Amino acid sequence: MHKIALPERADLHAKAEEAGFSFLEMGGEPYWDETSAYAFTLEEVETRIEDPSSELHGMCRAAVERIVASEELMDRMGIPPGFRDLVATSWQRQEGELYGRMDLAYDGGDAKLLEYNADTPTSLYETAAFQWQWLEDQIAAGALPAGADQFNRLHEALAERFAAMFPPDHDIHFAAAAGHAEDYATVEALAWAAREGGMGAHYTDLGQIGLSAEGQFTDAEDRVIGTLFKLYPWEDIFADEFGAAIVPSGCRMIEPAWKALVSNKAILPVLWEMFEGHPNLLPAFFLDDVAGALRDGTGGSALLDRSRDALRTHVVKPFFSREGASVDIIEGGRPLETAHDRAYDQGAKIVQAYAPLPVFDGFRPVLGAWIVGEECVALGIREDRARITQDLSRFKPHFIAP
Amino acid sequence: MRKRSATVALTLMGAAFALSGCREDRTEASSFPDLASCRAEAEAGSLNFTPADCDAAFAQAQADHEETAPRYDALAVCEEEHGVGNCEQQAEAGGGFSFMPLLAGMMIGQMLGGRGIMSQPLVNTANGRFATPGGTSVASNNGRGAMNASAFQKAPATVGRPPMSQADVMRRGGFGSSGAARTSFGG
Repeated sequence: MHKIALPERADLHAKAEEAGFSFLEMGGEPYWDETSAYAFTLEEVETRIEDPSSELHGMCRAAVERIVASEELMDRMGIPPGFRDLVATSWQRQEGELYGRMDLAYDGGDAKLLEYNADTPTSLYETAAFQWQWLEDQIAAGALPAGADQFNRLHEALAERFAAMFPPDHDIHFAAAAGHAEDYATVEALAWAAREGGMGAHYTDLGQIGLSAEGQFTDAEDRVIGTLFKLYPWEDIFADEFGAAIVPSGCRMIEPAWKALVSNKAILPVLWEMFEGHPNLLPAFFLDDVAGALRDGTGGSALLDRSRDALRTHVVKPFFSREGASVDIIEGGRPLETAHDRAYDQGAKIVQAYAPLPVFDGFRPVLGAWIVGEECVALGIREDRARITQDLSRFKPHFIAP
Repeated sequence: MRKRSATVALTLMGAAFALSGCREDRTEASSFPDLASCRAEAEAGSLNFTPADCDAAFAQAQADHEETAPRYDALAVCEEEHGVGNCEQQAEAGGGFSFMPLLAGMMIGQMLGGRGIMSQPLVNTANGRFATPGGTSVASNNGRGAMNASAFQKAPATVGRPPMSQADVMRRGGFGSSGAARTSFGG
């Protein structure tokens, strides 16, 4: 992996406007930044990103299999008692997963799984479409060679996945919270793929969803929702008034409820216990189990002892934080970097060994490995000046050099 | 082998949703708060309707209102759905009382193929709009616009059926409150 400077397309802003891509900039900072790009070899993409990420997804499935069989683990992972049956049943019925994005630290060696947003990942449109168009345009302009490629089957893979999950002409409602351009872009990109896969796609604002007298969910126009894609996390659904209505409604949910276990940083210590030493995993523990040992050497376990060196610099992360909120990096007992956004401070946390991100021109890239179904199909990169990638980080395009 | 899609969908204009499903038959519809305003406009010649059409449409809307308007078991439930002061008590045929929204006007439209006129009653909604018993919501009871023809389908009868309790009433807004303070639900 290396980074090269490239000319920005002359018609970038016109192209974005034409496409309806309204967040080239966010919070006064550039969000889409094509003044440089990351270059990979094909072998590197396949052996360092694609294959390991597909394998990691399979390991997460193995972890789910174990967690749903254990009331104790469900409890530890923060799944409320009233929803454990929903989570377990969705797994036992083999309700299929649609998509997810793994965040990987990669410096040319083994990629390390930082976390897995397996429930509500965004930046789908930027990855699947706008990045794809950038490559086509740069090849056409001669800025990149004709044989350049991109690890980006995201759109096609999603269309195929919808077609595999549902019968033709199946109606799917896509719900996002009103007024969030980034979230809307992700559901519209999904809806395009659903249509291409032969589905009927309908939009509803999340807050407009109703519950009929018969106990079925309905959209803003009172049409019954049979299948619902919700760009809204399961852990929030668990706390919502309508959470308890999901089972009686008979509504099929995307992602399925078992993804609440995968898109939960508490899966990282479970993975480490099951697959200790795996080259793509970082040592990880429940904070409750190791806080004493890390502070003053009391308690701990053989598993912890084997990772003590790796944990000298470690990251403390809440189970459910998003966009880097409430994440702290601790080095030798002192904070090296802490998130400004403390929205998730109250919740349970994990400890994970610190994997430094490489630095290119003062920016640290995190690889987003996109999973559709059970396969890794695409790459999207975001970079930040800070060690903790936050919501104002920049999206960077990539290409595979011929 | 190529690692990227052959084609992708490039636009974010809502078209992925707007293009979906079959487009319904549309009809030109007008709404009126009462019979007199319908007749006045018909006499002024600004409609495809005659004053006699207004009479027939309004009589039909009134009858449909009696037969299909929602019925509730308590004034509070009715007012929660239709606004304070917009409900009345109604004696049930089998004894007892229910509460119904007051008739707040009608919607009138041309049948497809010009086979006459059709109408639906309107009642107030809690958020200041108007709705038919079938659940079609319109902004005003004094306007015009294109409307799905299915909006004129008669709703199931409510007369003689048990009135709705608080638990039966359609609820909205049960998703989203737990994450409401966040800038984005994704990540």
